Amino acid sequence: MANIITRRGILAAGAGAAALHASGALAQLRVQGAAAEAPKLAIESGATLRILRPVRFVQPDEDIFRANAARFAERTGVQVRVDFVGWEDINQQTAVTANTGAGPDVIVGFNEAPHLYADKVIEVTDVAEYLGKRYGGWLAVAQKYGKRHASNNWIGLPFGGSGGPLVWRKSAVNEVGFQAPPNDHAGFLDMCKKLRRINKPSGFALGNAVGDGNAFANWLMWSFGASITDEAGAVSVNSPSTVEALEYLKELYATFVDGGTVSWGDISNNQAYAASTCWVTSNGVSLYFALKNDPATRAIAEDTEHSILPPGKASGWPSAPLSLNAMVFRHSRFPNAAKAFLMFMLESEQYEPWLNANLGYWAHPLASYRDAAVWTSDPKVAIFRDCMNNPFWNGYKGPLSAASGQANNEYVLVQMFASVASGQATPQQAAQEAERRARRIFRR
Amino acid sequence: MTDARAAATTADDHGMAPPPDKPQATAPEALSWDSRSRRVVTIYVPLACFLFILLFPFYWMSVTAFKPNAELYDYKTYNPFWIGSPTLDHIHLLLFKTDYPRWLWTTMIVAFCSTVLSLVASTLAAYAIQRLRFKGSQYVGLAIYLAYLVPPSILFIPLATMVFQLGLFDSPLALILTYPTFLIPFCTWLLIGYFKSIPYELEECALIDGATRVQILWRITLPLAVPGLISAGIFSFTLSWNEFIYALAFIQSTEKKTVPVAILTELVTGDVYQWGALMAGSLLGSIPVALFYSFFVDYYVSSLTGAVKE
Amino acid sequence: MTQTQDPPLAWTRRRRELNWLERMLDWKPLLVVACMLPAVGLLMVFLTYPLGLGIWLAFTDTQIGRKGVWVGLENFEYMLEDPIFWNAVFYSVFYTGVATIGKFGLGLWLALLLNNHLPFKSLLRAIILLPWIVPTVLTAIAFWWIYNPQFSIISYVLIELGWRDTNVDFINTAWSARWSLIAANVWRGIPFVAISLLAGLQTISPSLYEAAMLDGSTPWQRFRYITFPMLLPILAIVMTFSIIFTFTDFQLVYAITRGGPVNSTHLLATLAFQRGIPGGQLGEGAAIAVSMIPFLVFATLFSYFALARRKWQQGEGDD
Repeated sequence: MANIITRRGILAAGAGAAALHASGALAQLRVQGAAAEAPKLAIESGATLRILRPVRFVQPDEDIFRANAARFAERTGVQVRVDFVGWEDINQQTAVTANTGAGPDVIVGFNEAPHLYADKVIEVTDVAEYLGKRYGGWLAVAQKYGKRHASNNWIGLPFGGSGGPLVWRKSAVNEVGFQAPPNDHAGFLDMCKKLRRINKPSGFALGNAVGDGNAFANWLMWSFGASITDEAGAVSVNSPSTVEALEYLKELYATFVDGGTVSWGDISNNQAYAASTCWVTSNGVSLYFALKNDPATRAIAEDTEHSILPPGKASGWPSAPLSLNAMVFRHSRFPNAAKAFLMFMLESEQYEPWLNANLGYWAHPLASYRDAAVWTSDPKVAIFRDCMNNPFWNGYKGPLSAASGQANNEYVLVQMFASVASGQATPQQAAQEAERRARRIFRR
Repeated sequence: MTDARAAATTADDHGMAPPPDKPQATAPEALSWDSRSRRVVTIYVPLACFLFILLFPFYWMSVTAFKPNAELYDYKTYNPFWIGSPTLDHIHLLLFKTDYPRWLWTTMIVAFCSTVLSLVASTLAAYAIQRLRFKGSQYVGLAIYLAYLVPPSILFIPLATMVFQLGLFDSPLALILTYPTFLIPFCTWLLIGYFKSIPYELEECALIDGATRVQILWRITLPLAVPGLISAGIFSFTLSWNEFIYALAFIQSTEKKTVPVAILTELVTGDVYQWGALMAGSLLGSIPVALFYSFFVDYYVSSLTGAVKE
Repeated sequence: MTQTQDPPLAWTRRRRELNWLERMLDWKPLLVVACMLPAVGLLMVFLTYPLGLGIWLAFTDTQIGRKGVWVGLENFEYMLEDPIFWNAVFYSVFYTGVATIGKFGLGLWLALLLNNHLPFKSLLRAIILLPWIVPTVLTAIAFWWIYNPQFSIISYVLIELGWRDTNVDFINTAWSARWSLIAANVWRGIPFVAISLLAGLQTISPSLYEAAMLDGSTPWQRFRYITFPMLLPILAIVMTFSIIFTFTDFQLVYAITRGGPVNSTHLLATLAFQRGIPGGQLGEGAAIAVSMIPFLVFATLFSYFALARRKWQQGEGDD
């Protein structure tokens, strides 16, 4: 097994180097760390590490990640093995790992994952504080996802975030008389109505879609000033603002694409947008790049713009980025090696090439990386640069907890909106049902 | 094929008479024509409909496997039923850019081993229950049958804990040992039925002649039960090949995954599906089982009857 | 029985000396234990024990990553007042009932069709088994696409033919989603039922039909009084298995609708998974899973006794 790892590592290192070389301007490193004293981590002798992370968006992501891991192995003699699993499976695999106390040493999970397993992971405060000092501080969401609630103890190391802005076809929006989508709810609805009239409708996922569905539901909630819980974590979903959001959605849904979006999964809007069936949606940058990289759809990519969804009552962009969040498990026999590994990966020498290789799919959690070449490589990805600085997270306004993760994964908000959109419930009934479910979930 | 020939071949083909609703081939000319058109309406047309509906999703999968990405959703410019410019890209991606051949190999090993394991265990159990007739054998039989009622979706969390404790996590052995939990009950039941159909007298004679019970099992019962064994084997092989939840929960390394899990977890990147490769992968992955079936389908059919033969 | 005509001769030779192992294995109690050990051992370790663990979980508030404490019936109490659970119960029963009727109706019809003399019969049988062979998850993904609200190939055909103006709503509203899932399940289930029933049909002696025809019976009478009763034993068994498979179905629903729209198509298995794994409430998930057991026992008893008893009534003993 050891042989395989090393060989794979070397192969990957080669591929990564090639990818770096090919990408020209992106190969430039621009971020310099400030002086800070790194924590002394005594790497255990004979340490080996197993890392589990979600699959790549783009091939260079995997190549450079592996190359960086191989370099760590070279420097420290710690053998590192990286496995990639599907997005939907990472939560399950994390659950199994946490529950059974065996398996990978480090899992790069999503969002609140370290908070779900808070007693199964070790604190990484020293590493986090050092990295914060060195690279201009952690951005807002990164702090929220990294630190245990109401403390300065870090249990997760955010690795990157992916925002989901409004994705729209310039030609269609212009055709109905707008330069860009309006920044207020009424104007946005008006635009969608007009788009519907010229048969170039919008469409947002309302199905059980972990990413897009929750993102859309969260936008509706937060832009109307509603939230599932208050700051203390008490359920606050059944409020006048929620009902207002539901009423708004009812009107908005009527303008959506034919066939409706109540059954949309995460990939449905990508399909519909790529086929010019749907002209305005919200998604991560994956949609844009998929269009851009396929000669057959490049024209659509050129006609595509990104902007933030109407913020309404929110102070900033009301979107919680999907964040990679690394955690080191207590059962790891080599915790120092694991921490050293994560620290190594987040240092500019490794992180910046990786960030650049991701072309904007992932945005940095540390402020200094805003200067990375990737953010000027294509004006259309610039909007993703600061998405980890949004003051919103899954479960806003409450603390991150198993419950906030559960509410997200059980689609409490998405289903509340979907039941109104499909006419199964009135806004009041839907809000009550959501409250009933939320009370159960947040009862502890 | 004329009715006369049809009738003639039927007789020696499967040893059964012409279907009851069909008059004998000796019927008068007019009646025979009439029966032929009726046959088309009552048999061939419905059969064609069945085939069309059963096979359409496969047609769709095959077409998708060779379609370039640009044609996938663009129904306006391209006829979705046909491929504008067929491409082997997806197959190439599958075979050379992923671990597909390894997944296939792992799946085969897992399916084969768990099938053999289940067959051995169920043959012995069925033999003990049906032939050795120990006290309470019926209840043991019932208990094994009831084990079939426990769906894997209940079991996989506690099982995962055990798999870890036993140090089997991320090893094909975990699957080889857990798959028999849903294979043994069915196989045992099938084989009990099959052993029933083997006359007791044979064994009694052998016992009188001084053969040991092990000899009887090995020399008499088993050879006679081969069709039943094959049938149970096919069934187990298919179920292990298609198993999803355990394989998802117990295996973590890319190269140790089984085909259904690997295809789903490795060919879906974020919110982008590699449709072509997904479909190519599932079709290719089905070929070994399909081959298996086309060789053994007759055994399968005949042994199922054996299991419930009067 | 044809097997009686040529008994193997090997063992009829003179008795040879048995070695100690053979002698020991000929001692019946030991032989029984030796024979039962692999099956019972495997089932005990990998099924009974985890099942017990699962049932115990149902009475705790265990979450993923956190050991639970005993909460008694709390999970069940919440379940009983949870409309989502009741909806899952309803749909599980409905799904199982309708899909089973569909599978057996169509499967029996297909088996009767295949029982005719047909060219390429073996090939046909192998082809018909295809839907059963291909991994469920993967066919489910194909179905998910076929049911896609915007890119359904069926909608495309209907619109091209001018029969409809808009896309067909397959999985977007509660009832259409329920029916679409049932259709997919029936599609997958027909082959197994048809091939198994075909096997049963081939055991029916042709002389029965000949005698009936001499008596001037109609085709319906022959089906009603010969084919159907003769098929009952295999029908009972196949139906039991089919009901269990359908009731505990997971992959199809999970891949096509995820229980949506708005929880209307959750089966107990998918709901248990949703609560237990993504939701993290292992205790609640286990409680939902455990609540399947009475239904399964009932379904088994029903199909077993309602259908199988007739066989015994016809004079055939239990063995």
